[in-house]
Amino acid sequence: MTVGLGFGEGDEGVAVSVRSAAPAWSYSGLIWNFALRDIKSRFKGTLLGWAWSIIVPVATVIIYSVVFSAIFRAQPPPLADGRPGNYAVWLLTGLVVWTGFSNTLNTAVGTLLGTGSLLQKIYFPSYAPVVGSVISSMMQTGIEAVILLVILVAIGNVGIAWLSLVIWIPVFVIFVTSVTYILATYNVYFRDLAYLITVALQLFFFLTPIIYPITLVPVSSHGIPVRALIEANPLAQFVESFRSILYGVSVPSVTSWAILLAWTAAAMGLAVLTYFRRGLDIGEQI
Amino acid sequence: MSRQDVAVALDDVSKRFMLSQERRTGLKERVVRGKSRPGKAVWALKDASFEVPQGTTFGLVGHNGSGKSTALKVISGIYRPTSGDVTVNGRLSALLELGAGFHPDLSGRENIRLNGSILGMSRREVEDAMDGIIDFSGLEEFIDSPVKIYSSGMYVRLGFAIAVSVRPEILAIDEIIAVGDEEFQRKCFDHLHDLRRTGSTILLVSHSLGIMEDLCDTAVWLDHGEVRGLGDARGVVRDYVASVNQREAAAAPLEDRETAEHVADRHGSGEVRVDRVTFHDNDGSPVSIVLPGQAVTVRLRYTARTQIDAAVFGLGFVHESGVTVAGPNSAQLGPWVVPAGAGVVEFRIPELTLQPGMFMVRTAVVDRGHTYDHADNQATLKVRGSGEAEPGLVRMAGQWQPPRPDPRAAAVTSYPEARGVQS
Repeated sequence: MTVGLGFGEGDEGVAVSVRSAAPAWSYSGLIWNFALRDIKSRFKGTLLGWAWSIIVPVATVIIYSVVFSAIFRAQPPPLADGRPGNYAVWLLTGLVVWTGFSNTLNTAVGTLLGTGSLLQKIYFPSYAPVVGSVISSMMQTGIEAVILLVILVAIGNVGIAWLSLVIWIPVFVIFVTSVTYILATYNVYFRDLAYLITVALQLFFFLTPIIYPITLVPVSSHGIPVRALIEANPLAQFVESFRSILYGVSVPSVTSWAILLAWTAAAMGLAVLTYFRRGLDIGEQI
Repeated sequence: MSRQDVAVALDDVSKRFMLSQERRTGLKERVVRGKSRPGKAVWALKDASFEVPQGTTFGLVGHNGSGKSTALKVISGIYRPTSGDVTVNGRLSALLELGAGFHPDLSGRENIRLNGSILGMSRREVEDAMDGIIDFSGLEEFIDSPVKIYSSGMYVRLGFAIAVSVRPEILAIDEIIAVGDEEFQRKCFDHLHDLRRTGSTILLVSHSLGIMEDLCDTAVWLDHGEVRGLGDARGVVRDYVASVNQREAAAAPLEDRETAEHVADRHGSGEVRVDRVTFHDNDGSPVSIVLPGQAVTVRLRYTARTQIDAAVFGLGFVHESGVTVAGPNSAQLGPWVVPAGAGVVEFRIPELTLQPGMFMVRTAVVDRGHTYDHADNQATLKVRGSGEAEPGLVRMAGQWQPPRPDPRAAAVTSYPEARGVQS
């Protein structure tokens, strides 16, 4: 068996590598084992174990529902068939997307630093531990999504439009994975990034229409196109389209899909660029 | 040598590291002071070329920072060379620090899966090897408990059991055989022996020259990233030892001054004093590292304040473990007359019987119960490993006789029925 030469461009110009030119899927075993490690160790030592993955989102929905629905009297959009909306269900639809993004970013951004000693001793691509960590975080989101689906079916808010999830989910996962890989890699070079992300995520939580409907945002205020700005946030696009599919039971518009795909393609391109610019020499930097 | 027979080939490989004055990993530094200026370039490898034939064991020797580990990391793909070509024919794996990559909260079984895949085994390979690994580790009872409850011994056993289950075509080992207890080291050597027999190529970095000479067929000697020697392992190691000796000899005057002041435990009446002890080879040039079997002269420089009519000179070789291995003295030649002034006494060893290790040298000048001078820790004789390593502190003189038939045994075998009864 001969291992081919892989070429990659680093800061020093063209560098030649002996690294296996094996395709990414040949690392699937390793990625899966990294994911299993994170999944299995997550609730080790807790009394309630995996029950927490249900308790936490349910508690969050209850808290926000009480605050926004009971105290601020926020009006959720009506259900697909025109029945009056349910704030808790509507909120959960947005929260699933948001926590999928923010939890993954928060937990996976430190993965490369955490795997550092191994990366210095043996070669495996730097995306392997990151993708493993993303998978384990997404598992949590999957559980929340299943709860959401069960609730929606129970209240009879189902439709053929749900099938568009088949496209929406992979697009979302690729987007989140790309953003996470970029930030996890740069976190090795600038370790402040992990803290910066925590702050930025708090800001973005309010800049994304999760607890409020986008229609509540004025189109323009003091000459600033506020709503357009908020819609420019890719997370807003993901939340809105996910809500449109599940809560509104309607396929998102072509424009909406185009924006999602554009953001995802951009994130993926940047991730690949990051991998070739920074990810190949990560063993030297940790 | 055709390319087919080569497991690993380096072709003018260089690796440069940039040493910035300080690493700007913080965003604040980056913003406040701007992009860090490119620092000094350090060449960890400089146009290094060598080939490792398929199925052989190859050693990398050199002092600290000579580029051995960098070479190994470039071969393993952890570092990318700045220039040059690296060719690796076959699946390469590394013998990791045992237990590196273990997750404390996962069970032994789960850690086997994780570690196996880090070492490049496929899922099926890991599952196939699972029972063997558990069996080898002897941890059946604990295999489904988290490894954080393991004792450090169990940890190492599990790590080792996983490591030996990996059967790579090329194995890279960086200085890990030096760690662990006697039993572990023996197991490690057995494993390496096994791999060699089955045709694996082994790349080895170790500071233990004895190990290098023992295990390696060929070796490369790296010095500041450049290849200084390449070829037969024994020859390369000898050249390397010679160069270390030379360098240490050049640095010796300073060292002597220091040790002279630090000689502890000197006692005696002081009419004569042994000031310095040095070691010399056949040509009389000073050496600080010797090999077993080598001719060594121990030179004692003394100063006598007055003439001494009867004196016996003695030496003590104390192994680092505290055992006095030998104590040659001049008593059998009768007492010597030592004239006043400075002089030299020599003890010539035609063939050093000491085994590899550090030996503290003690000197004494006595006369029937009276001690003129007695000093511990006069000098340290460093004996480096050589190919024919044997256990023990000294090499016993003697000759082995090859196997030959035993006349008594021959008498037994001539009775077939008697043999039948025995079996």
